[in-house]
Amino acid sequence: MQVYRGKIVTSILAVVILLTLVLSGCGNGNTNAGNTGKTDNEGGTNSQAGNDNTGEKPAEKVTIEFWAQKFEDTTDAWFKKWTDEFNKTHDNIQVKLQIVPGDAWAQKLKAAQAAGKAPDLMTMSYSGIAPAAKIGQIKPLNDLMDPAVFDDLYENIKEFVTVGDQFYAYPKLVEPSAVLYYRKDLFEAAGLDPEKPPVTWTELIEYGKKLTQKGVFGLSTAQTAPDLGWSSWGLQYNAAGHLPVTDDWSKADVMNDGYKELLNYYKTLYQDGIIPKQQLAGYADATPFGEGKLAMTISGSWSIGLFRNDFKDMLDKIGVAPMPSIDGDPTKPTATLGGWTLVVDGKSKQPEAAAKYIEYLLAGDPGIMIDFFKTSQFSKFSPRKSVDEAMAQDPAASSDEWRRLIAEKVIPFAQAEPNYPWDISIAFATAIESAMKGEDVDKALAKAEKTINDFIAKQSLAGTNPK
Amino acid sequence: MKKKTRLDNVTAFTMLIPIVVLLTIFVVIPFIYALYVSFYDWSFYQDSEFVGWSNFSNVLSDPLFMMSIETGLKFALFVVPAQMILAFFFAHVIRGMGTKLSGFIKTSIYIPTIISGIIASIIFVFIYDYNAGLANVIVNMFGVENQAWLADAKTALGSIAIPAVWLGFGITSLIMLAGLLDIPESYYEAADLEGAGSWTKMVYITIPLMKNVVLYLLIVGFTGAIQQFELPLVMTGGGPLNETTTPNLYIFNHFRNDLLVGHSIASALLLFVVLGSISAIIFKVLNSEKAVDG
Repeated sequence: MQVYRGKIVTSILAVVILLTLVLSGCGNGNTNAGNTGKTDNEGGTNSQAGNDNTGEKPAEKVTIEFWAQKFEDTTDAWFKKWTDEFNKTHDNIQVKLQIVPGDAWAQKLKAAQAAGKAPDLMTMSYSGIAPAAKIGQIKPLNDLMDPAVFDDLYENIKEFVTVGDQFYAYPKLVEPSAVLYYRKDLFEAAGLDPEKPPVTWTELIEYGKKLTQKGVFGLSTAQTAPDLGWSSWGLQYNAAGHLPVTDDWSKADVMNDGYKELLNYYKTLYQDGIIPKQQLAGYADATPFGEGKLAMTISGSWSIGLFRNDFKDMLDKIGVAPMPSIDGDPTKPTATLGGWTLVVDGKSKQPEAAAKYIEYLLAGDPGIMIDFFKTSQFSKFSPRKSVDEAMAQDPAASSDEWRRLIAEKVIPFAQAEPNYPWDISIAFATAIESAMKGEDVDKALAKAEKTINDFIAKQSLAGTNPK
Repeated sequence: MKKKTRLDNVTAFTMLIPIVVLLTIFVVIPFIYALYVSFYDWSFYQDSEFVGWSNFSNVLSDPLFMMSIETGLKFALFVVPAQMILAFFFAHVIRGMGTKLSGFIKTSIYIPTIISGIIASIIFVFIYDYNAGLANVIVNMFGVENQAWLADAKTALGSIAIPAVWLGFGITSLIMLAGLLDIPESYYEAADLEGAGSWTKMVYITIPLMKNVVLYLLIVGFTGAIQQFELPLVMTGGGPLNETTTPNLYIFNHFRNDLLVGHSIASALLLFVVLGSISAIIFKVLNSEKAVDG
């Protein structure tokens, strides 16, 4: 009986606690949802209240919420290290860093925005800046930061973070989206010259066939629409000279030979069994190559960091080359320059303090950024002239051959990421995937054309390109 | 006498208050609010703009939305019948067992129910791995070459239906078992006296008396399966070629990627209409009745 009563008490307690939790969560959500539907001001008061609660201890100290997307462990550690350092040296600002996994990022951020609790400061990729700026989700930084820090940026990268005449983000790094990695030892075993990696798509296919054996696939690249959506941008520039919409976003532009060849390239790779029928890991993750399951892989420059940190005994077998071009012309783009920036939320109550942190971390002492590029094994590149100049003095950086190859042969020809809505990228990527899975190339392209045009019409997209 | 009824009513209404309050907070208000905002283009950073029916017409004219509803239905047709039949036979087997053994079996088949869908998805992603997954090891034994279970449009939906059956099968069996044990033993005894065989007993006693349980399981199963979300999210990301994009994943993708939220809300409301209609059809076809045994 005693035990029985204990159980009842416990369960009643549990129900009460649960109810309280649920109700309190709802109370917040409800008021906030009400606010977001109305005016910005009301939403603002709400988040103000939130801030007062968190920063109530010392009178003047402001607390900045900072969400960083989860990258390599070394990057996370770098963020932690320098955030601690910032907090130590800035008495009146406390930055609270939270590392958020990539697959939870979008929904977590949306939920926080809906509740009026978005972080003051967050990481954002280049392609997200223009759309976010358009709806006021991020603040312009011109008045928040010293204008001199923007002069330090390379001209082309300055453009990546500019919308209209305002800077909406400060860049941390650039990294080309496509580089070819190959196994020199397997090249030799297959009778290929390990010093002569393929330079055309035809060669890439031919080499891939020769290198495919039991247990080792010849090549790996993106093969699902979500991966192809962004990783094929560079190759679209390579084959067609442009992306699937006209520059003013008024209509689709895919019915041409360049795009047909692009689809045929992917189709051959898949249909001839050069790439696995089901991908071993996502495009961004080159682990299967490091584990020896692939003879060649196409991935971003960031994979160099992975190989150097996690697959040290493979390093002398790995060759690095620019991604082959459709006709062998090495000056045509094969990659887009992706990368990450820091932005200040449009509703942040402490934009100056947030901007101060950006200025300290990304735009201040070049030593901080050099520390980052070192921990990422020089697999990423600086958007700032002064950092590159300082790095040139660093023996480890200047003698790194892979770094030089990418800096000289890939980055100068790489293009910026597009800033149109993701729906367009995914519509075109679906065309690639359906061609791979056996759909006729012309039909696949016609379908993509229709989907993109429908999307443009529904969203009244024509003429809204902010750049 | 009259006074007593009124007192009873007061007690009844008092006891109903908590659930009515909770329903109002969690269901009625959000629902009305969702209806209201579905007519606006809105984001969390801008003023909303009234757009009339355009969110709804955009969703309805989106072939992907229609395809996702179809995918949801197909998925439910894969999952629910398989689950029900398996559960029905399993419940029968358990009923015939001794107490100790049946307790053990009941616990073991219930385990998948308490495993999170995400964990199950990850386990099954390993099983379907192209290079060294268990599924391919098994088909290799029969001389079949490696299959791209999750990347082939023909097998993807079926492949994610299997973990769904596995996850839901335990609770379905237990509910079926409860339904079976609820049928009075005397009916079977009477049937035995009349010389009915086990097949006849099944068709004329067990199945008709299980109708309400089956109705419940069908509706819960169908609406649950159509709303399946985490399995395709983790295992296939909705691919290949959107073959496994269930309605909820479609809504989720829009919620995640769109700058404006109206489209997601309109599609969620339309999904509500679809689910409501399916439940209504099942009710109509099966015609729920009060149990006759009393």
